[in-house]
Order: sequence, then structure tokens, then C-alpha cells
Amino acid sequence: MTRLARTSIWPGIALSAGVFALCLLVALAFGPASLSLGEVWRFVTTGPVQGDLPNAIFWQIRLPRVLVACLVGAELAVAGVILQDLFLNPLTDPYVTGVSSGAALGATIGIVLHLSNLPWTTVLALVGGFLTLGVVWMAARRRGRIDIFVLLLAGVTISYLASAVVTVLMIRANQDMYAIVYWLMGSFSGRGWQDVVIALVAAPFMIAPLFFAKEMDILLQGEKRALELGVEVERTKRVLLVTAGVLTAIAVSVSGIIGFVGLVVPHIVRLLVGPGHRGLLPVSLLLGASLMGIADLLSRTVIAPNEIPVGVVTTFVGAPLFVYLLRRGRKG
Amino acid sequence: MSTTRTRRSLAAVTILTALILAVAGALALAGCGSDASAGVEASPAASASSGPITVTDGTGVTVTMDQPATRIVSLAPANTEIAYAIGAGDKMVAGTSYDDYPEEAKSLPRTGDFANPNVEKIASFNPDLVLAAGGLQDKLRGKLEDLGMKVYVVDPKTYDGVITDISNLGRLTGFTAQAQQVADTMQKARDDVQAQVASATRPVTFLEIYSKPLMTAGGETFIDDMITLAGGANLGATAGSGFPTFSTEVLFKNDPDVYIADSGSMGEPGDIARRSGFAELTAVKDGHVYVIEDSIIARPGPRLAEGLRELVKMIHPEAATAQ
Repeated sequence: MTRLARTSIWPGIALSAGVFALCLLVALAFGPASLSLGEVWRFVTTGPVQGDLPNAIFWQIRLPRVLVACLVGAELAVAGVILQDLFLNPLTDPYVTGVSSGAALGATIGIVLHLSNLPWTTVLALVGGFLTLGVVWMAARRRGRIDIFVLLLAGVTISYLASAVVTVLMIRANQDMYAIVYWLMGSFSGRGWQDVVIALVAAPFMIAPLFFAKEMDILLQGEKRALELGVEVERTKRVLLVTAGVLTAIAVSVSGIIGFVGLVVPHIVRLLVGPGHRGLLPVSLLLGASLMGIADLLSRTVIAPNEIPVGVVTTFVGAPLFVYLLRRGRKG
Repeated sequence: MSTTRTRRSLAAVTILTALILAVAGALALAGCGSDASAGVEASPAASASSGPITVTDGTGVTVTMDQPATRIVSLAPANTEIAYAIGAGDKMVAGTSYDDYPEEAKSLPRTGDFANPNVEKIASFNPDLVLAAGGLQDKLRGKLEDLGMKVYVVDPKTYDGVITDISNLGRLTGFTAQAQQVADTMQKARDDVQAQVASATRPVTFLEIYSKPLMTAGGETFIDDMITLAGGANLGATAGSGFPTFSTEVLFKNDPDVYIADSGSMGEPGDIARRSGFAELTAVKDGHVYVIEDSIIARPGPRLAEGLRELVKMIHPEAATAQ
């Protein structure tokens, strides 16, 4: 099965790159301010111009927002692949490690302390995410090796703990309740270039797992088998866990907690290109970006001038697609 | 082999049946629960008979008291402010964790917070009048009235609605004259402001409630009413009623003349001019970006008069200085 995937990854990657390019174009071409396609093209060719409001709508509002959405989608999808395959558990999503709840706690503290919206909430979310990763890591370390199942349990436990603290803070500071609830729901509203930069920091962490594709393939057969086949299991696990943790923390800190993408995109991609990581990782990255880009497009256009929470859209778009592919995959 | 299979499928059927029964049971219980609460809510309205003081509250319910209230519990900071402003501060026995105005209100015993009022705790103060807010708290009415308390819900949709509530509370507490004074002050602020902006054009005004996601005050809110009174055209009213999310692109497309950010209950707006692209907005270029204290525009109490005068300074600086 891995052999089959290995020989045929390029068509899959090319196709998903095409899909991503299309999604990016559509997401940039349409928006509630309804700039005409000609105008959008003119803005792309002239670059950002000061003193031109429609130009600012494209360069300062729409473009950074679309880029942040695509980056976050890619980050969550790659983190989802890594964690599902490390935990050998199909229900895993990037949020089970507790990193997202830690980030949520950080953001909540930022909101409750009334540190003005930008960028402290983001920074505290990042700090919260990384601290949680550290704690989970320490809990799972036994005699120099990481126990994956302890890590999963510790992650889930910390998740509950952090969520409980968030709830307490929410009730204590209920004036900030809406701000916290909106943060937890996740959104790309008001994201600018600053957020693009933060999301871009994760780029190396999206590429890194590709170098471990072979090890990840072998790890699917269990740690014992991987050891027998000469894989440096502990080193691989460490690198991958940190990678997934960083990806999740960064994604969550700029967008809040957006569900479904990190859970379902890896499954969709496995159905399309198989479980081999040389194909699974890049295609998940591209399709995660595509799905989030389109979800955000719908979130900002469907009921304009209002917005639909993007997490609702990812679920509405992703769920039927997933069910369809599952049924098709069953027949094939 | 086949027996294990039969046994297994039998077990599956049993579990499934149990599940269905459990769900059905839960649904039936839930159904009973809602029926019961509906009955409770209906009874107090029916028992409203004639008495010395009768007023109609913000939800259209008639509230009757045989004599002026002597022990008042407030469940919202705005209600506390009204009670103190009309001189009923001495009769306040408890407030909320968020009462911060006037100073005396801070030392009141607390019933809990705005979102989670605790019925037992409220009852422990033995009040004869509970001042609730609309929405969630309205649902407590039945329980509180069963315990013998009168409940007045303050839920105004307009500036004048606040004035009406203040007059009503004056009657319920026996401070009619002082309440009338407060109402007159609010009325005067309204008339002054209206006179100032009578002949002026209406600048497109955007009021930011929160920035991530961008939220505004839509129609059917007293904030919308106040923007209109202060001579502005509320851009948020185009996005529906209540407090809707608002597309940043549409904000830019409409390029408001005045940008007012609310500060306080939803956090601080930060440096608005430095947000991505905001430097291009007319309001930013012309220096018509303002931050307004949440408690004077978003709390339906006597200080809205202050908020209204602040708003007119922001929306019509020329008219406000001319006076």
C-alpha cells in the first residue's frame, strides 16, 4: 500500500496544488465589498497604493485575511496528520494535545486583563500553548522516552483543566464573556499582515515533517516494528510532537479554535492518495489551506454584512464532503 | 459460533432498545419540564390585580406593588445606577459583582454576577422588589415571583425607553419626584442635542462594540437610537438588529465619517489607526476616531444623558462647540 502511494504521489500533489491555486483565486476575487474582477486584477498588478480605499480593501483587508486563513488551515491539517498517525487514533485532532486549550487559557487571560486586543492576546495564547506542550511533554517522559499514550491522556487532562479555568475566568469576569466566547469560536475577522507574519513563522514546521515521511510510514506499524527496522523512534517522535505542537499553538493563537479541519482533512486526503506520508503530508497541507480559504470566503460573504463563524462553515463544508468520500472509498 | 453471534446481536438489540427508551424518557421529561415552567410563568400575570402602584415594565408585564418597595435587589449595574440616581440607594440591599457606579454601590452585598444570578442568594436578602435585566434574567421572573418578590425587567430599546423605566422605578420605590428630576435631566439632554443637530447633515457613523470579530450596534438598540439622536447615521443599523458582526470590507466600502469604539466591557480597542488598512479610512484621516466609555452608552441608566452629549461632540464637533 505504501509502495503504491509512493509511486503515485506527484499527480496527487499537482492536482491539490491546482485546487489550492483555484481556491486562493476565488477567495481573493470575491468578498462582501464586491470589487469587480477587473479591479482586483488591477490591484494585483499595481501593488498596494496609499490613499486608494478599494486598493486598501484588497491589500490590507482581504489579502492578509485570506493568507492567514490558508496558513491556519494548512497548519491544522499537517498537525492533524502527524498526531493521528503518532497516536494511531483516527479521532485525534490537533486539539487533543491540550495545546489549544492552553492557548485558549492564555488568550482568555489576555482578554480578562484587558490587554488591548492586538497583539498581547495572540502572544499570551502562544505562551499558553507552548507551556501546555511543555507540561504534557514532562508528564509523558519516562526514562528518556515519550510514552505516546500517557501523552494523549495528559493532553486530554490538561485540556479539561485549562477549559475549566477558562470557564471560571469567564464567569468571574463575565463582562468579558462575549469577547472570550468569540475568541474560542475562532474567526479571521480583522486579521492583518501582523497575523500573516505570525502564521508564517510556522512555515518551517509545515515542511519539516516531510523529511520524516519514511519514518512516519514505518511508525504506522507500531513503535516496536519501527525499532526493529532501524528507525530512531524516540528522536522521530520528539521532532514530530514538537512540530505538531508548534503548528497548533501558532494556528490557534492567530485564529482561535476552529474545529474539523485538523480532524477531517487528513482523513479525506488518506482516502484520496493513501496513507503514505510523502503524499499525505503535502496534499493535506494544500487541501487544508484550500478548505479553510473557502470556508472563510463563505463565512464573510454568505450573510454579508454579517459574518458566519468560520468553524460552523468548516463543518458544513467538510462534513458532507467527508461522508461522500467515505461512502465512495467503501465501494472502491 | 452461530449461538455467539445470536447472543451478540441480542445484546446489541437490548442495548439499542435501552438507548431508545432512555432518549425517549429524557425527551418526555424535558417536555414535562417546559410545560411546568410555562404554567408558572403564566400565573403571576393572571394574579396581577389592582393595587396602589401599577406600572408596565420593559417586557410589557404589569408590575403591581401594594406599597413602595423597601428592600431592593438589582441584578444589573444599570439598574443599580437608576436606583441610586432616584434616591432609592438606601433601600438597596444587594447588587451585582459589576456595580461600580456610584461609589456607594461598590460596597453593596452581591447576589452574584450578571450572567448567573442565583435565586437562593437573591431570596436570602428578602427583597420585595427585584430589578432584572432583559434576556436571560427575564427567565428568572417566575421563580422569583413564586417566592413573593416583585420583578421589574429593565430592557429598553430606546433612549426614551430608559426615561420611562426611570419614571416607573420612581413610582415603585416612592421616589416619584426625584425620579422625575432625573427623567427631566435626560429629557433636557435629549432636547439640547436635538436642537444642536436639527439642521445638520447626518455623518455616517460606525460604532465598534468589539474588534475581533468586528461587531457593531445594530438597529433596535438604544445605542442606535442615541447615534440617531446625536445626528449621526448609524452604519451598524444596515447589518440588522441587536449587536451583529460586521464585515470589515463593508466597513471600508461605506467609509464612515466618524468611527467610535466602545471601551470597557469588551476590552480596549487599542490603536485603531494602526490596524491593517485603517489609515485609509476617511474617519482616521480626518481625525474623527474616538473611544467612548462603555458605561455611558451601553448601560441603560441615567448616565446615558452624559453619553448622548459625548456622542454629539464626536459626531457633530462643530455643533457642540457652537453652543
